[in-house]
Amino acid sequence: MVKVAVSGINAVDNPGPGLGIIKGLREGKTPVSVVGLAYDAMEPGIYLTDLIERAYLLPYPSEGEVPFLNRLLYIKEREGLEVVIPALDAELPLFIDLEPRLSAYGLRTFLPTQKQFRLRAKDRLSTVAEAIGIKTPETLAVTSYEEFTRALSRLRFPVMVKGLFYRALKAYTEAEARQHFQAIAAEWGYPVIVQEVVEGEEMNVVGVGDGEGGHFGLMAIKKLWITSLGKIWTGVTVTHPGLLTAAENFVKHFRWRGAFELETIVSGDEIYLIEINPRFPAWIYFAVGVGINLPERLLKAALGEEPERDWDYPAGKLYIRFTDDLVTDLEVFQHMVTRGER
Amino acid sequence: MKLNRLAISEEGFIFDPETGNSYTVNETGLLILKKLREGLGPEEIAKAMSEEYEVSREEALRDVQDFLETLARFGLWEEKAWLR
Repeated sequence: MVKVAVSGINAVDNPGPGLGIIKGLREGKTPVSVVGLAYDAMEPGIYLTDLIERAYLLPYPSEGEVPFLNRLLYIKEREGLEVVIPALDAELPLFIDLEPRLSAYGLRTFLPTQKQFRLRAKDRLSTVAEAIGIKTPETLAVTSYEEFTRALSRLRFPVMVKGLFYRALKAYTEAEARQHFQAIAAEWGYPVIVQEVVEGEEMNVVGVGDGEGGHFGLMAIKKLWITSLGKIWTGVTVTHPGLLTAAENFVKHFRWRGAFELETIVSGDEIYLIEINPRFPAWIYFAVGVGINLPERLLKAALGEEPERDWDYPAGKLYIRFTDDLVTDLEVFQHMVTRGER
Repeated sequence: MKLNRLAISEEGFIFDPETGNSYTVNETGLLILKKLREGLGPEEIAKAMSEEYEVSREEALRDVQDFLETLARFGLWEEKAWLR
């Protein structure tokens, strides 16, 4: 029985990947006992005792390395934790920095390097796209209002106005773009990214790189239906050869280690890279459902075992997300608030 | 030919495994698609249709051409494809 901790158990309207990862681990051949890592006592995963045996609150990464490491080591001691699978962007830099120390304490991970992690910055997209043989929409990074004005005169509307790591707002007019620029600069600082909108099919690829240029499986999907937050609600597997080749080039060129998701727009024969996520997406269970159990493969890689590498999957498999209800006692919430664990 | 990659069901449900797009066609559309995949040109398909249904060759040919235009609009057909 492998004791594994997973974060991102906030299965809300902008769901974290945790529950999908956990469902994958539970369906794998390696027996697991799962510890859920949460940042808020209300995260739904805490209450799903069939999926998550034990749950702990973590301090926010912004509180610094020491409280974070101490908390992880406390959980390791209490639970006999062997592996951690972090699933949220905001905590990943910390986990990557802590990796050697966690490993020295016997807590294993399988993460990208800090250098790989930085590839996800939106101002690096065109470099990555070029290296793997695809395109990016015309993108400009600006650090002042004046630069922003110049950028707008060079781009065609509509444009996307984005923070370096988070938030993306669509603007159809200059006035709208200026409003978004102010909002994003105030919330996320500079640079602000301005990008032309490319029309086409929204397709994503998920995979796990082995860190040596190969991978433990890939799967591509097309989003069929999204929520107002842009989150997938219905999707279908696709076998777009160009997209899958680009993903293979990505792991090969950057020797990617760990989970990743590439978000793209496919327009005819052209593929445009929109975003790189250095972790599993929230729809990761889709890969499990079509027979490529990437969470389990990542667990094996973390344990130093050799995971499977086959990744044949059928096109035309459908993914349906749905909402659910649960009624439970206040006791669990009480424990999370008073003790930070259950 | 892009048509060759399509998954076509007998009910007229068409799925494109590369783009993830799906379409529905009626009985006539299904017949045209099948004939196109067999390598038949518009004239030959119109002939087959006029034999199958009570319709003149001219009318059938117009229908085939309309259908090909629709396929082209969805990026599933190029004019020169059947000439090769």
